Amino acid sequence: MIEEDTIICRCEDLTYKDVLDAIEMGMTTVTEIKKTIRAGMGPCQGRTCGRLIAQIVSQKTGKPMGEVWNTSHRPPLKTVPLKILAGGESEQ
Amino acid sequence: MSNNEFDVIIIGGGIIGTATGYYLLKLNQRVLLLEKDYIGAGSTGRCIGGIRAQFSTDATIKVAMESVRLFERMEQEFGFSVDWYPSGYLFLSFTEQQNKTFLNVMKIQHSFGLEIRFLEPNDIKKQFPYLNIDGVSGGAFCPTDGQADPFLVLKGYIWGMKKMGSTFLKGAEVIAIEQGRNGTFKVISHNNEQFFAPKVLNAAGPDAYNVGKMIGLELPVEPERHESLITEGLEYMKMPMIVDYRPDGCYFVQRLTGQIIGCYTPEQRVPGKNIDSTFEFLTEMPRRMIRLIPFLENLAVLRQWAGSYTMTPDGSPIVDETSVPGYYVSIAMCGHGFMLGPALGKYMAEFMVNQKWLFDMGEFAFNRNFQATAEAMK
Repeated sequence: MIEEDTIICRCEDLTYKDVLDAIEMGMTTVTEIKKTIRAGMGPCQGRTCGRLIAQIVSQKTGKPMGEVWNTSHRPPLKTVPLKILAGGESEQ
Repeated sequence: MSNNEFDVIIIGGGIIGTATGYYLLKLNQRVLLLEKDYIGAGSTGRCIGGIRAQFSTDATIKVAMESVRLFERMEQEFGFSVDWYPSGYLFLSFTEQQNKTFLNVMKIQHSFGLEIRFLEPNDIKKQFPYLNIDGVSGGAFCPTDGQADPFLVLKGYIWGMKKMGSTFLKGAEVIAIEQGRNGTFKVISHNNEQFFAPKVLNAAGPDAYNVGKMIGLELPVEPERHESLITEGLEYMKMPMIVDYRPDGCYFVQRLTGQIIGCYTPEQRVPGKNIDSTFEFLTEMPRRMIRLIPFLENLAVLRQWAGSYTMTPDGSPIVDETSVPGYYVSIAMCGHGFMLGPALGKYMAEFMVNQKWLFDMGEFAFNRNFQATAEAMK
């Protein structure tokens, strides 16, 4: 069962209640929730929590998943150390 | 008043629009804020959160110092932390000429009581041992400069506006503005909703030019692209914002939450609203960061993105009533909207209500000569 204190975004330590509060304040897409409470901005970049948050928003707003899950996908697709990007060393 | 009539209509939901709206509401104005996308979708939500008072001209320094005071008090004002922290700004010079500029500007800065010190390379090494000072000829350090989280600050203003009863519409793009004979503006949104007010504030960031055009103004403003990246977090080490002034320099800071976030100014300007991110930046920025702080090489990059600096020819914002009475602008922040926004919002709200500035704001004037001297600490 999902409780108010269930962790939804573990990188930023956000609970189900935090997400509900943001929706209550009028945030109706995953991007807006991300930019209000930092959900999905940690090391996983929303790969773990994005779908969960989209489900919650979809459920609460009655809008389809495809409409609320509007976050942009940006490079790098996986985290890469600076030294590799700078060209000094190759990844083992 | 009917429910589509207001005292002020603000176009733009970034730091400028929300801060100005917040302070207008405190002055008992009826405010409507129209945002074409969502709050923070423009420049504010893409900025890296640096806040400094190290500027070179009187009004900008005064505004920036007031902003720092407002950031310091935000936790109390909003009832939650905005991750404000006075981690300082360290400008690094690599030439004697640049040292002279720092020292000259410092005279003005000191006259306002700003605590800025010139540091010799050895002082820099002592105070910031992780820095590689090869080629460094000096630095200007202001310990009262700092950082805050742009999203949390926006949240404070927008939730404050709602609590004070403001109307705020997101996804509401303005498509036309008309001024009636009695001076009242009719603002029309994309779905043909009409709103009326005697005063309009253009706070449209990268879209400021278009929103000016709607009332017949040719505003001398243009956005250009700036790219950013953020790394994974590491233990907070009170790193200041480090600004490397070389042509291939960069600037970055460790956020209070541990990540390193930074940008560089491209050698060739990239004008226009294109905010795609490039592979060139993703590979070049790490090189420049590692050159300054070698141990960063093992940190991983989480994400890169880009945003707009809306520029004027002289590098200072335009914050004023325009030649169209009742039509105000607070635009073209030249990359400093987040840091100047709180104080500019407060001063602009007072100006819109009282019709006078607290002090000489000539360097932000609508009618100034844009070809005169440029800001020295860009």
